[in-house]
Amino acid sequence: MIRLERRASFPKWLGWVIPIASIAAALVAGALLILVSGNDPLTTYSRILDRAFASGEALSATLIAATPLLFTGLAAAAAFKMGVFNIGGQGQFVIGTVTAAWTGLMWGDSLGKAVIPLMILAGVLGGALWAAIAGVLRAWLNTNEIITTLMLNYIAANLASWLIFNSRSYWRLLSGSGLQFPQGRRLPEGSDWPDLSLGSLVLPCGLLIGTAVAVGCWALYRHTRFGFEVAIISDSPEAAAYAGMRTKRKVLAVIALSGGLAGLGGAADVGNFRHVLDPKGLNQSGYGYAGIVIAALARLNPIAVVFVAVLMGGLSNAGRSLQGPDFPAGLVGTLQGMVLFFALGGEVLARYRIRRTVRIPEGVAV
Amino acid sequence: MKRKLLVTLLVGSMLTAAACSDSKKDSGSSGSPVKAAWIYVGPTNDGGWTTAHDNGRKAVEAALGSKVLTTFKENVPEGPEVAQVIDDLVKDGNKIIFATSFGFGDAMLAAAKKYPDVKFEHATGIPNDAPNWSTFYGAGEQSTYLAGMAAGKATKSNTIGFVAPFPIPEVVRHINAYTLGARSVNPKATVKVVWINSWFDPAKERQAAESLVSGGADIIASGGDSPAPGDAAKAAGVGWTGYDSDQGANYPDVWLTAAIYDWGTYYTKEVQAVIDGTWTKGDYYGNIADGFTTIAPYGKRVDDATRALIDAKKADIIAGKFDIFAGPINDQSGAEKVAAGKSIDFGEQMSIQWFVEGVDGEIPA
Repeated sequence: MIRLERRASFPKWLGWVIPIASIAAALVAGALLILVSGNDPLTTYSRILDRAFASGEALSATLIAATPLLFTGLAAAAAFKMGVFNIGGQGQFVIGTVTAAWTGLMWGDSLGKAVIPLMILAGVLGGALWAAIAGVLRAWLNTNEIITTLMLNYIAANLASWLIFNSRSYWRLLSGSGLQFPQGRRLPEGSDWPDLSLGSLVLPCGLLIGTAVAVGCWALYRHTRFGFEVAIISDSPEAAAYAGMRTKRKVLAVIALSGGLAGLGGAADVGNFRHVLDPKGLNQSGYGYAGIVIAALARLNPIAVVFVAVLMGGLSNAGRSLQGPDFPAGLVGTLQGMVLFFALGGEVLARYRIRRTVRIPEGVAV
Repeated sequence: MKRKLLVTLLVGSMLTAAACSDSKKDSGSSGSPVKAAWIYVGPTNDGGWTTAHDNGRKAVEAALGSKVLTTFKENVPEGPEVAQVIDDLVKDGNKIIFATSFGFGDAMLAAAKKYPDVKFEHATGIPNDAPNWSTFYGAGEQSTYLAGMAAGKATKSNTIGFVAPFPIPEVVRHINAYTLGARSVNPKATVKVVWINSWFDPAKERQAAESLVSGGADIIASGGDSPAPGDAAKAAGVGWTGYDSDQGANYPDVWLTAAIYDWGTYYTKEVQAVIDGTWTKGDYYGNIADGFTTIAPYGKRVDDATRALIDAKKADIIAGKFDIFAGPINDQSGAEKVAAGKSIDFGEQMSIQWFVEGVDGEIPA
C-alpha cells in the first residue's frame, strides 16, 4: 500500500527544490512527447522562450495575454481563500466588460482619458453586483455557490450575446460593417487606456493596475482585520461565528470582492485591448476558467498570481506560435497540461510525504 | 514591349539588390519557397468550415509543391491574441496570410497597414483601400438552393429544420435560397429556423437539431461549421443536408448533399500570384459557374429523379438561364416582395434582412 501522509513540518529546502524538480520533470516528459510526435524538443523549447519571453516584443505580447488572466486569477484566489468557490469569474468578467463599455461609450468623447477611472469603477461595480447575487444566495439561503456562480456565467454570456446579436442595444454598431455582421460599437479612441513603453517592451495599463491590485489584495488578506477574519472563517466557520464574527456578511463581502476583481479585468479588457463589447471573443477566450487554474497554481497567493499569470500568458502565446501543420494545437495543449500537472503534482509532494505501508492481514500472528 | 523591358529591368535590379543584401532574408528569390499562412477560428478537424479551408491549404501544397511552404494557426480566439498571431507569422517570413473568420477583420486590416510587404486576404471580409488587402467569398446561395431542392423532395412531413448560426445577411440569404429551392419542388414544405448564435458549437448545433426533430422536422439543414446536426439526424433517422464540407462518407445513412466551396483553386491562384510577383488586390465573389461553389456528391436518400432534376437546375444556373432570386417571391406574410420579371439585386442580397414565404422563424432585431 502506498499512502499520502501530511508533512508535520515543511523543510525550507523543499520550498525551492520541488518547484525546480517539477519544472524539470515537466520538461523531460514534454521532451519525450515532442520526440514521439516527430519534432525536435530543443528547437521547440527554444522557440517557446524566443516567442514568449526572450525579446521585448515577445514579452509584450505575453503581457497582453497575461492581463485578463491576472484579474481572473486574483478573483478566484480572493474567494477561494475563504473557502468560497466562486467559479463565476467568467461571467463577472463579462458583466465588467458590459458596464465598462457602457461607461466608455457614454462619456468617452466628453471626458477623454478622465473616463478611465469611471470605467474601472463601472467594471468593478458590475462584476461585484453580479457576484453578489450568488453571495446573497449562499450567505442567507445556503445555496451552493459553485452551482449558482457557474449558472450565472451562462446568463452573463447570453446577456452580452443578446446585447450584440439580438437587440438594437446601445452597445451595438448599427451602421457600416455592423450591418454585415453584428458587432459592438467602438469606444471613442480618445479614451483608450494608455500603455507604458520601455523601449520595445510595452506594459499595458491594465497589467500595471492589476499588479497594484494584487499587492493590495495581499496586504488586505495579510495585514488587516478583514483578512484575519477571512482566515478564521476559512478554517472554521463555527468558531468564527462563536467568536462573534459576522460570517454571512463576510461571505457576501468576499464574493463581491472576488466579482469586483473579475469585473475590473473586464474593464481592462475593453479599455486596453478590445475597445468594443465582444461577446463572441470573450466566450471563446474563457479567461474566467483559466483564472481558477492560475489561482490554484499560485496557491491562492495574490503576488504569486501575477507571476503565474505571466507564465500562463507566455505559454498560451508561445503555444500559438508553435502550432502548425507538423505541430497540432492538441500537442500544444498537452504540453501546457503537462506543465500544470507536474506543478500541481509537485505541490502535493511538498505538502505530503509518500509512505509505503504494509497491511497486516487480520488474525495472522506476527 | 516597353513594359516588358521595364519589368525585366525592375526584376533585375531587385535581384541584384537581394543578392547584395542578406539573400537568406528574401524568400521571394527563386529557389527558396514562398511562405503562406492561414488563420482559423476553429479546429482543422471541425468537419465543416475550417476543414474545408484547410483542404484548400493542402490543395495549394499539392499544386505548388516545393515552391510554397504553408502553415496554419487553428483555434485562434477573436480578440487581442489575433494581432500577436499575425506578428508571429510575419516574423516567420510568411508573405501572404489568409484569415477565415469575419471577427479577424480588424486585426488583419491593422496588420495590412503595419506590414505593407505582406499580402492579407480576408474570407467573407469587408473591402478596403489598403493596397495589400483582398477579400474573397462566393455565392453559397446558389448551391444552397440546390441542396434545398434535395431536402424539399426528401421531406415527408413537409417540415425541414435549419440550424442557423447568426441572424446576418449571409445566413438569411442562404436560408431564403434553401427555402426557395425546397418549395420549387415541394410547395408545401416549410423551413423552421433555430438560431444558435455561434459558427462552431457542436453541442448547441446538435441540441438545435434535436429540438427541430422533436418539432416535426424530418430533414435537418446545417448552417454552422460542425457536422453535429448530422449526429442528431443519424440518431433520429432523419435526412441531413450539410454545409461547407462533404461528410457523405461519414454519414452515409442520412446524407443528402451539401453546399460546398472550392477554396483550394482560389488559394492556389493567389499564392501563385505572390510567387510570380503578379498579385493584385481584389474583392472576389465566386459562383457556381466558375466552380467556386458547388454541391457535394448525393447520398442514397436522394433518388435518381431528384438527382436529374437538381443537375438540370445546376446546368441552368451555370448557363445563366436561371436566377434563384427571380420573382415572384413572397415574404413571410404572403405579400409579394419581388414582382415577376424582377430579382433581388446583388446589393440587397448582401444586406437582406427579411425571410421568404415558407420560412418558419424570425430575424431578431
